[in-house]
Amino acid sequence: MRRFLSFFLLSFLSFCVAASDYHEQLVLRPLPLSALLASFNFRSNTSLSAFEAHNYRFFPRSLGQILQHAGTRELHLRFSLGRWDAESWGARPWDGAKEGGTGVELWAWLEAASEDEADHKWLTLTNALSGLFCASLNFIDGTRTTRPVMSFRPEGNHPSSNSTNMRLFYGVLPREVVCTENLTPFLKLLPCKGKAGIATLLDGHKLFDASWQSMAIDVRPVCLPGEECILEIEQTIDMVLDIDRSTRPRDNPIPRPPPGHELKCDTSKPYHSDDTCYPAEYGANQQWSLAQIFGRPMKGTCPLSDPKIPPVCLHVPDSRGVYTSGGVETITSKDGLSRCFKVQPEAEFDLVLSHVETEGVAPPALAGSIIKPETPSLYAERSFTGYGQERGGVQTILRNPSPDKEVEFVYMESLPWFMRIYLHTLKARLDGSLTEQTSLIDEVYYRPALDRARGTQLEIRMRVPPSSTVFLTYDFEKSILRYTEYPPDANRGFDVAAAVITILDDDDDAKSTPGGSASVSSSNLRTTTLLLSLPTPDFSMPYNVIIFTSTAIALAFGGMFNILVRRFVAADEGPEVSLKRLKTRLQTKLGGLFKKLGKAELKNE
Amino acid sequence: MNGGEVTLGRTARLYIGAAVLRLALFTIFPGLPDLLTGRVEVSTPVTSFKRLQEGLFLYNHNVSPYDGGVYHQAPLFLPLFSLLPSSATFPIFTYLLYVAVDLLSADALLKIADSGEAVSSRLFTSPRREKRWSGFVIAAVYLFNPFTIATCLGRSTSVFTTCAILHAISKAIAGAPISAMIALSFASYLSMYPLLLLPPLLLLGYDRRPAADRTSPIAFTSKHVLVVAGIHSALFGMSYLITGSWEFLRSTYGVQLTLSDLTPNVGLWWYFFIEMFDSFRSFFLAVFWLHLSSYVGGLCVRIRTQPLVVLTLLLGIFAIFKPYPSIADVSLFLAMMPLYRHVFPLMRYTFVVAAVVMYATFLGPAFYHLWIYAGSGNANFFYAITLVWGLGLSLMVCDLTFAILRDEWEVERPEMVGKEIRQI
Repeated sequence: MRRFLSFFLLSFLSFCVAASDYHEQLVLRPLPLSALLASFNFRSNTSLSAFEAHNYRFFPRSLGQILQHAGTRELHLRFSLGRWDAESWGARPWDGAKEGGTGVELWAWLEAASEDEADHKWLTLTNALSGLFCASLNFIDGTRTTRPVMSFRPEGNHPSSNSTNMRLFYGVLPREVVCTENLTPFLKLLPCKGKAGIATLLDGHKLFDASWQSMAIDVRPVCLPGEECILEIEQTIDMVLDIDRSTRPRDNPIPRPPPGHELKCDTSKPYHSDDTCYPAEYGANQQWSLAQIFGRPMKGTCPLSDPKIPPVCLHVPDSRGVYTSGGVETITSKDGLSRCFKVQPEAEFDLVLSHVETEGVAPPALAGSIIKPETPSLYAERSFTGYGQERGGVQTILRNPSPDKEVEFVYMESLPWFMRIYLHTLKARLDGSLTEQTSLIDEVYYRPALDRARGTQLEIRMRVPPSSTVFLTYDFEKSILRYTEYPPDANRGFDVAAAVITILDDDDDAKSTPGGSASVSSSNLRTTTLLLSLPTPDFSMPYNVIIFTSTAIALAFGGMFNILVRRFVAADEGPEVSLKRLKTRLQTKLGGLFKKLGKAELKNE
Repeated sequence: MNGGEVTLGRTARLYIGAAVLRLALFTIFPGLPDLLTGRVEVSTPVTSFKRLQEGLFLYNHNVSPYDGGVYHQAPLFLPLFSLLPSSATFPIFTYLLYVAVDLLSADALLKIADSGEAVSSRLFTSPRREKRWSGFVIAAVYLFNPFTIATCLGRSTSVFTTCAILHAISKAIAGAPISAMIALSFASYLSMYPLLLLPPLLLLGYDRRPAADRTSPIAFTSKHVLVVAGIHSALFGMSYLITGSWEFLRSTYGVQLTLSDLTPNVGLWWYFFIEMFDSFRSFFLAVFWLHLSSYVGGLCVRIRTQPLVVLTLLLGIFAIFKPYPSIADVSLFLAMMPLYRHVFPLMRYTFVVAAVVMYATFLGPAFYHLWIYAGSGNANFFYAITLVWGLGLSLMVCDLTFAILRDEWEVERPEMVGKEIRQI
C-alpha cells in the first residue's frame, strides 16, 4: 500500500513541475471482511507570488483569504468519524498522515512575532474556519489548544520564513459530530464543486454511513530547487465502506438473515454438515459496482483536472475481472496488482468488480480476490482502567508486529484539564514482566493542566522492541466541576481526544532536509477517543444547597453569637420567659378591655 | 529499671506504644496508607500525599509544580521530601517522619496540659480546677484517637500544621512568645488559616510573660506581629528561591481563597460552590471567608480571661468552616478538648454530639461510596452527611463555649452551681 501511494505521490510531484495544477484521483481498494477503502485525493497548486497578489485560480479564495489574514503558513484540518480496524484492515492509508482522531482536529503553523500576536492569530483562524466549515472550531480555546514540541513537523518547505517566528498550534474537538454540513463546504473548495469528476461520488448519506471516514485539508508551501515556490492545497477523503451495508437495496434496507440454502459455509470445518454451518469469509469476494456502493455513477471528469492522471484506480489482483462502461481506457500496472481507468470527459462512468469463481464452496484464502493488507508498523489501543467516578487510569497497549525492527515513536496526549493526571505514576512495562522498564521511555515532555485555563500536554518519545508489546499506564483523578461547566447531558461523559502516535523513521533526518523531497513523509496513527465520566452534582437543586448550607452556617453562627452575647441568670431570676409574659400581658389587656366594654354596656342600659 | 528512668517511663512508654501501633499498621496492612490517602475525608487538595508526590516528581524533573492544577502545598515541602528516600521504594522513612511528627505534637500537647493553663490562667481560675486530666491522659487521647491515626497513616501534610500550631501554643504557655510566633508563622505558611490564631496567641503569650516583663500591650503586640511578618517574608523568600517564581502564592493560597478545586471533602464549601451561580461566586467566597474570620474578634473579647479557650474554640470552628477541612483538623480540636475535662459536666449535649459525630463518621464513607462507586445515590447523599457532620461539630463547639462561660459565671455566683439557668 505504502509503496503504491508513494508511487502516486511521486508521480504527482513530477507533475507539479509543470504548473498546471489540479489533479484528482480516487483509489479503490477492497479490504478483508467485505470492506472497501475509497481514497479521494484532490490537489491544486498556486504559485506563492500569485497567492500573495490575491490571484486565485484553483486555490479556493474563501480559504486563501482566511489563511492570509491569520498569517498561516501551513494548515492541517481533519474531520473524522469511526475507527480504523488495524487488526483486519492493516496499515492505514497515506501511512496515517491524512487522518485525524474522532471529531475535528486542527493544527497550523502561524507566523507571528510575539506570543500574544500568535494567540490572537490562532483565535482569528479558528473562528474564521469555524464559519467556513460549519464546525464548532471556535470552541478550540486555551483549554483545548496545545503546542506540541515533538509530534508534528512542518510538511512543507519554509525557506523564507524565520523558523523562530513559526509557531505551531494544535487544537482538537473530540466531541464534534462530523456531518453533511461539513462535507458541503469541503466540496465547495474544489474547482469543480462536486459537480463533475470523482467528487460526484461523494454523497453525505454514504460518506457518513461508512465504518471509518476521514476528511483532510492540508495547505503547505512547496519549494523545489530552482523553481518558484508554490502553495499546495490537498483535500483528501478516506472512507471504509461496508459493502454489504452499502449495497443494501434502498427500498428494503433492513438486514435479514439469508435463507439456509443461500448461506455460504466453510466446508473445511469438521462439524460442517447439512444443519451446521460456519460462515465462510466471502465478503471480500463479493461483486459490486460503483453505482451500488456510492449510490450513483461517476459523472464524467472534472475538465480542470490534469488529463494525464487517470481519475480512478482499483487495487485488486489481475485475476479478478472488472467491467467498465464504454469508452474507458484501462491501464494495468506492471506488477499486476492495480489498474487505473481513464474516463471520457462527458460520459457517465461505472465499474463492476466481479467475484472470483471458486471451484468448490470454500475459498481457501483471500489470495485470489483481494490484495493482502500491509502489516502496520505498530498497533495501538488505549482504554480506561479502574472503576468509580473518583479516579482511574489510562492504559495504552502498543504492539510491534515486526520480528526484527524496533519502532521508535512519539506518543502525544492532549487531555482536558478536569482529568488530573499523576505523572509520577507513568509506567511502561513489557508484556509478561511485572516490573517497570524505564529504558523504554527516552524522553518525556509534560505540560500540566491548569484548572479552567489549559489542558494537559504529554509527549513521550519511546521505543517498542521487535515483536513485543508495551503497556503504558498512568493514573488520573476525575475532578468535579461547577454545575454550569457540565454539558447538557452530563452523565454521558466527556470525550477525551485521541492520542497521536508519530512514528519516527530512521531516515527521517535525511528526508526533512530543506530542498530535498517536498513533502516530509510522516507516519501517524491515532487511538480511539475515550469517554470519561465525571462525578456529577445534583443539577436540580442549586437553591436547596444554598439554603441548606446557609442554614447550617446560620445555626452555628447564631448559636455561638447567642451564647457569647447573652447574660446568664438563674432560671427563676430576671424577666419571665417571654411566652408567659405575653400571656399575662394579654390577660391584663383583655381583662381591661372586657371591663371597659362591660361598663359601656351598663351605661347604655 | 533504675530510679531515673521510672519518672520518664510512663510517657516514654506511651510514645513507644503509639509509634509501634502506627508502624505496625503501616507494615501489617501495606495497602492501608494508600487507601487512606485516597479518602476524601483524610486528604484534601491542599494536604494530599499523592499530590505531594506528584509535586515532588515534577520538582525533581525541573517542571514547576505550581504551573499546574495538582499541587497546592507549600514549596518548602519539596526540598524536605526530596531529602528523604523516595516513598515508593523506601516507604519506611516517610512513615518514620510522620510518626515522629505525631509524637512531637503529642509532646507539645503534653506540655500544654501539664502547665495547667486550661484551668487557671492569669486572669481566671476555675473553681473546678481539681478535676482535670493529666498531660499523660491528654497525650494518650490524642495519640490513640482514630482520626489522628488515620491522618498519620494517610500521610496528610496537615500533620505538620497541627504540630506547628501545638508547638506555637506550648511555646506561648512556656513564656517564649517569640518561639511561639515562629511556630505560628510556620503553621500559617503551610496552610494559611492558622494566621487567624495570631490574636489569641498574642493574648496567651502576653498573659504568660512573667509580671516583670509585661510591658505595654501595644509594644508587645507590634513586636510580635513584626516577628510574624519577618518570618513569613523569610519563608516566602526561601520559597521564591526554591521555585524561582512567585507562582506558588497563587497556587497554594490562591486556591484556598478562591476554591478553584472543588474536590469533595467533609466541609461545607465544596458543594455550595459547585452549585453556586457564577455571578455570585465571588460574593459568597468573600462572605464565607468573612464568616470564618468573624469569630476571632468576638471570642477574643468575650473570653479575654482564657486565651487558650479562644484558641481551642477557633480550632473547632476552623475544622468545620475552613475551605478544605479534613478529619485532621477535627483531630486537632479533639486533642484540645480534653484540656477542659473540668467543664465537661456543664456541657448539655454530650450524648447528642457524640451520637451525631459517630453517625456521620460511619455513614459518610458509606454515602460517598453510594455516590461515587455504586451509583445508587447522588451527590446529595454525601452532601447531607457533611451537613450533619458540620452541625454536630458546631453543636460541640457551642456546647463547649457554653460550659466555659458558665464555669466563669459560677465564680461570680457560687451558689448557682448545679442549678438550672438561662440566658437573657
